Amino acid sequence: MSNENNNSDLLVKMTNIHKWFGRVYAVRGVDFQVRQGETVGLLGDNGAGKSTLIKILCGYHQAEKGDIIFEGKKVRINSPREAQKLGIETVYQDQALAPNLSIARNVFMGREPVKGMGMLDKKLMDEESMKALSNLGLRLDSPDLPVITLSGGGRQGVAIARALHFKAKLVILDEPTVALSVKEVGEVLEFIKQLRKEGISVVFISHNIYHAFSIAERFVVMARGKVMREVTKEEVTLDKLNELVIESAIVDID
Amino acid sequence: MVFGMKEEVENRKMNVKSFRSFLAQRSATTLVVFIALVVIFSLFTRNHVFIGQRNITALGKLFPDLGIIALGVGMLMISGEFDLSVASVLPFTSYIFAQFMLGGYAPFWALLVAIGIGGMLGLLNGIIVVKTNMPSFIVTLATLMFWRGVLFVWSRMMPLNIRPFVERGSLFEQAMNGTVAEFFPIQTVWFIIFSVVLGIILHFHRFGNWIFATGDNRDAARAMGINTNLVKIICFIIVGLLCGLSGGLQTVRLGSFAATQGIGFELRAIAACVVGGVSLRGGIGAMGGIVLGALTIPILDNGLILMRVPVFGITAFIGLATILFVLLNSYVERKLM
Repeated sequence: MSNENNNSDLLVKMTNIHKWFGRVYAVRGVDFQVRQGETVGLLGDNGAGKSTLIKILCGYHQAEKGDIIFEGKKVRINSPREAQKLGIETVYQDQALAPNLSIARNVFMGREPVKGMGMLDKKLMDEESMKALSNLGLRLDSPDLPVITLSGGGRQGVAIARALHFKAKLVILDEPTVALSVKEVGEVLEFIKQLRKEGISVVFISHNIYHAFSIAERFVVMARGKVMREVTKEEVTLDKLNELVIESAIVDID
Repeated sequence: MVFGMKEEVENRKMNVKSFRSFLAQRSATTLVVFIALVVIFSLFTRNHVFIGQRNITALGKLFPDLGIIALGVGMLMISGEFDLSVASVLPFTSYIFAQFMLGGYAPFWALLVAIGIGGMLGLLNGIIVVKTNMPSFIVTLATLMFWRGVLFVWSRMMPLNIRPFVERGSLFEQAMNGTVAEFFPIQTVWFIIFSVVLGIILHFHRFGNWIFATGDNRDAARAMGINTNLVKIICFIIVGLLCGLSGGLQTVRLGSFAATQGIGFELRAIAACVVGGVSLRGGIGAMGGIVLGALTIPILDNGLILMRVPVFGITAFIGLATILFVLLNSYVERKLM
């Protein structure tokens, strides 16, 4: 449950968010908040509305109703670019990477550093992308490698390095561990811990509670477009959290 | 700290190596076949007429018609779209060019108008594609037929003689159908200029990165704030502008407008790009490869004619060659990835 007296360190606060897609009522009056430096696990079954909620926060969708307050100011986020300007970076489940483009070109996709007349500053791109990757503990041979040649974990690393380079305040990871091997999941969880060390807030969306439990401090459970439960890590065990998620999915709210 | 770093590094080292050779080979296969073609044609045409200066000069005048368009089509394909309408936009702009000269405009202004109209037809293609979300293959197939039909009705398929309006030896005539240093065709100079300019945009400019990103993973590009619709529309416009220029070059060279100009260019331009290593799914390609492809298709044409293959059989060879190139490319790709 949210602490009203802790409002000063709130990074983002979404209140009463509603979203329809035609006749589908995807998000039904959700309150959601993230504190500075906090790692939140957003849990729930497929179709619970997790991704929709988060896509509203990162500018991909616009809410029909509801407010977003970011760093104490009320904001409207109309596009992914506006979210990026606020410092909200997203690592999508379908990986926001172009597989045949190089690591450096992926890290700077859409925000390429230029030398004038729009010409790419290739040297800067190479150096900075390698620096961001090594800050994550990921050492790759060349910034010119196409990301398709990397492992699944490595690719998530590139997407997360992008957030790190652009000094994100909030990184949203949408199912970052889906379709990864056990070893790669371990890598990705390491990257996320690294983000936390840098003081960056993280929202970790997953329907795998094991992955979420190992890194998040607080859990928000969604089902059918609503927030069903909010608990901190101290309040639950893995089994208890599992029960909550299953319960939330079964309980008939209407 | 990170699990299994050593193996990972080893793996990646091998990947780097194989990928380097893959890159080398991807353009190399086209280059090798291109050189082989030149050698074969040089050896087996009667009196080695293929490498005679007359033939080379003729080739240098002819191939940029398609080549200049292919440069734009290649960029468009990398962004993930096709343009079949080039084969109608070219004669359409030629007709505008001729009509404006007939109407008393100086050739230079007539050409500018024609290029502008080409750009607008490209813009129209682009807008229809991004607004309707229909595959560009279908949209531009429709505009291919539409503009061809409009042109046939409007021009009543009558040729227009433009020789009286383009003064021989004038600067304009020299810039469109002249030679540099007595033998180097100006059309080739135009082709070189555009391949360099577009190559710089594609590989060294921010916009080029947006083109690749759009074609490789449109959702990712959008999520990263790239206006993928605008990127595609601009690529369509570039193709239209190039059609206008190419139409002008061809009309001045022929000395007249003909309603049959450009027939078959739609697929030849795509064939040139595919031969040059551009992926049909977008996201992969290079200007160097497109240039090679744009040279290979006309050389195949020309060489086969000189080897006395019946004219109507030549398309069969080009079809075969295209399939072989694609097979070769994907084989090399699979082998090395």
